[in-house]
Amino acid sequence: MQDRPTAPELLDSVAEYLFAELRPAVPREQRFKVLVAANVCAVVARELRAGDRPDREDLALFGELLGDHVTDARAAAAELSRRLRSGELDDRIDELAPRLEEHVRRKLEIARPDYADG
Amino acid sequence: MEELASAVSDVLAERGFDPGELTLSPIPGGASRETWLIQDGDRRWVLRRDPKGSVSLVPMRDEFALILAASDAAVPVPEPIAFEDEGGRFGSPGLLMGYVEGISVAPRILRKPEYQGARSALTPQLGEALARIHAIDPRSLGNALPATEGDPALAQLEEWERQLDEIGEPLPAVELGLRWLRANAPEPVEPRLVHGDFRLGNFIVDENGLAAVIDWELAHLGDPAEDLGWLCIRSWRFGNDDRPVAGVGTLDEFLAAYERAGGEPLDPERVRYWEAFGNLKWAVICARQAHDHLSGVRRSHELASLGRRICEPEYDLLQLIS
Repeated sequence: MQDRPTAPELLDSVAEYLFAELRPAVPREQRFKVLVAANVCAVVARELRAGDRPDREDLALFGELLGDHVTDARAAAAELSRRLRSGELDDRIDELAPRLEEHVRRKLEIARPDYADG
Repeated sequence: MEELASAVSDVLAERGFDPGELTLSPIPGGASRETWLIQDGDRRWVLRRDPKGSVSLVPMRDEFALILAASDAAVPVPEPIAFEDEGGRFGSPGLLMGYVEGISVAPRILRKPEYQGARSALTPQLGEALARIHAIDPRSLGNALPATEGDPALAQLEEWERQLDEIGEPLPAVELGLRWLRANAPEPVEPRLVHGDFRLGNFIVDENGLAAVIDWELAHLGDPAEDLGWLCIRSWRFGNDDRPVAGVGTLDEFLAAYERAGGEPLDPERVRYWEAFGNLKWAVICARQAHDHLSGVRRSHELASLGRRICEPEYDLLQLIS
């Protein structure tokens, strides 16, 4: 067990410093880079808070779409990509689009939580 | 750098500019070209050249030919002054241009009060400029662009599929988009000169609006609706989601100006197809930029962070094809 702050709490503190203190203090052409750094901290903090839930949900989704038992979300995404590219899923595109939106929403939830319904 | 300054000075003298003492300073930004600001007291020029040993999508020589053609067609572009090829006086292939006053930072153009007038003027100006680009006779470009055969949509899909394969990132939503775009490609049209990266970040804008169209590196022959679809993707609206054209205007307003300037009418359904394609292309570019960081081509937290933005155009792509 580590002492507090927790990992996401530490990242919050760095993001706050970068955004509120450092960004206004650096030359204008550097500000965007500082903003990006602050956003990266916020993304990682959200990912840590979400734990393994998004990966588990993706794993279940990919397993269902592939009709296979899968154990690794990345490998399953690669297999699904391969099958899509080969054309063998061409007659299921309308059905697959909203299912893959579930996966994309799980990525947005971490990277850009306001995007999907903005 | 003194060597480069003296080379630029010679070239300017040959072109009748009679330059004084020149100072060179690097202009940041631009991933694939080096850009230098050149000054001699009150006058300014810009030198763009390939980093040594790099291979670019559109060679510098062809970019020069494109800017000359655009300039002849009354598209606002920086004044093309000189080109030096590999082994020439600029050290690597490079082109010397006039300096254009203004900014190309999209969020600033969209937010700052001093660009209010520019924002109202931009949509018709962009329509007119794009109509003029698309009116350039591809045959007048000589060999500046590779000839395309067959369907321009399928040619583009193959190009971006190839780029995705080079990265090797598993992106099932992008793969689904590729299949949908293959199945729904519009009827091919006569290929036109397509700018290929026509968006706010590649325009120089001043208080009066469009001052120059820059960055011709992704130019190719293709469907003219491709440029408009790209201009309309949500990522280039920077939050102004109700204004599809670059975050400043409506499609109707743009199309009216495009047609007034002699552009062939563009079917909004076709534009929507290319907007879906544009999202696919942006998703692949994000993946490629993150990959450049990961593989060590160019270490940068900005590039790294783009890997986590792939999901934005993926989401918009899925909305457009459902």
